Amino acid sequence: MLDSLKDIIRKSSIHACLVSTGGCNGCDIEIVALLSPRYDLEQYGIYFHNNPREADVILIAGAVTEQWREKLQRIYAKAPEPKVVVAIGNCPLSGDVFNQEGSSVYAPVSDFIPVDAEVSGCPPRPSEILAAILAVGPDAIAAKGRLAKGDQKAEASEEAELNQKAEASQKGGEEKV
Amino acid sequence: MILPIGPVHPALKEPLRLKLKTRGERVLEAEIDYGYVHRGIERVMKGKTWQKGIYLSERVCGICSYIHTQTFAETFERIAGERAPLRAQFLRVLTNELDRIQSHLLANSTYFKILEHETLFMYMLYLREPIMDAIELLTGNRVNMGWNVVGGVKMDVNQSHLDSILKIIQNLEDEYDRYVEMFDHGPMIGLRSHDVGKMTREEAIKARAVGPIGRASGLKHDLREQHHTYKDHFDWKVIWRKDQDNYARTMNRFDEITESIKLIKQVINNLPEGEVRKQINIPAGYAEWRNEAPRGEVTYMIETNGNLIKNVSIRTPSIMNIDACAKYMLKDVATVADALATYASVDPCIACTERVMIVDETGKGQEYVYPDYKIPYLKDKTED
Repeated sequence: MLDSLKDIIRKSSIHACLVSTGGCNGCDIEIVALLSPRYDLEQYGIYFHNNPREADVILIAGAVTEQWREKLQRIYAKAPEPKVVVAIGNCPLSGDVFNQEGSSVYAPVSDFIPVDAEVSGCPPRPSEILAAILAVGPDAIAAKGRLAKGDQKAEASEEAELNQKAEASQKGGEEKV
Repeated sequence: MILPIGPVHPALKEPLRLKLKTRGERVLEAEIDYGYVHRGIERVMKGKTWQKGIYLSERVCGICSYIHTQTFAETFERIAGERAPLRAQFLRVLTNELDRIQSHLLANSTYFKILEHETLFMYMLYLREPIMDAIELLTGNRVNMGWNVVGGVKMDVNQSHLDSILKIIQNLEDEYDRYVEMFDHGPMIGLRSHDVGKMTREEAIKARAVGPIGRASGLKHDLREQHHTYKDHFDWKVIWRKDQDNYARTMNRFDEITESIKLIKQVINNLPEGEVRKQINIPAGYAEWRNEAPRGEVTYMIETNGNLIKNVSIRTPSIMNIDACAKYMLKDVATVADALATYASVDPCIACTERVMIVDETGKGQEYVYPDYKIPYLKDKTED
């Protein structure tokens, strides 16, 4: 019961943190554009806070440069446990144009920390970034929160039921409004 | 006490470490650590054709990505001793000014965000989105446009595109004064901005501050005055102010947007007919070209070996501006919050600055690609 309640709350309040690990800035400004009234990130319950200690979703934008190789893991460790990493743009996926002979980037980012979702594009459109966060964010955070508790297998069927109930109650709430 | 801020911090969008030396709430000194975004673009660019180089130069910086490609293309045109067709030059001015408008709106929005004035922050982003639409309509992309080539621009425009852009610009102009007045006459936001982060004209010259930051301190210097297209075909004026503080820098950007709107209207009304691209054969040679980016002057120094880039060196404005901020503006600031606001008011662009990594504390000076070219801020540091 408490878990399902937590799930509902977790799904509707996601704190996002942007870690720019050495790109061209283009993805960063597309994420800032998400805050604009046109896309309005906050209507989906996502709060862009830029603080890894409070983050549920870590957005990685940029090929990993020399300075970030160790710091990235430290920042990942700082985020509290139910956490999701979304890699934004081509840079964290492959290094894009920077990953050539003579450069100092160490892409892909999945060598350093586990990545849950990837959005390609140079840079991706704001709507694509938003879709990726919403596709992977709420459910993964709820599921990971339960996994962290341990003995997940026994509770799996129970949780599915609870999930359905939670969804039903959410829908009911929406209808009332 | 030394207060470290960054590289990931609620107030910063880009990675940078700001060390503030404080006594109580008062900020005495500031020091800045760079190096989080160094990718080695110049080194990758060497030995490649311009078709690959222009792609890389666009990715030096995402916010002012347009002006980098224009400067790159114009440097190559200068090596060949030719100029792009007149229609292409006009279209370059059009895109450059659209890019300047979106960059200045983004810079001011960041400043308001750090001042915690959420309303104006939202309004700035609300004004910016139609401009991004105009850029997308013209070039096909929102951020990295891929619009310039050596010898012109990639595509021609229709009259219908120009009409839509004119409509967007007209809408911006109609609404614009209201938002500027909100900042200009707002008592609280005025209190936070006036007389904070002062840099005198002499200090600006010493720190080589460029762009709106230099112009807000009384340096009347805009490289568009020297550019052949702007000089010959357009009627506009350089915006500069004398009040030297955060308010002046923000207001300077607001006023430059008004000038950009004028320039865009002139381009659309007087666009000449003709080609937009011509073939240019590139000889071996060396050229240097400067342009006015939204943040100041951007310099490209390119040496070619026939069709290949032999050496390239890029100098962007943010390095001087951030240095001026750390050295002169963040000196004896009343509060830490004001120090962060001052930092945001210089419109820092970290991706720009970190294409060159210079690690030198002896004052000897690292050997550079072009020995004649001295790095001004490095020399300054050693004198003190």
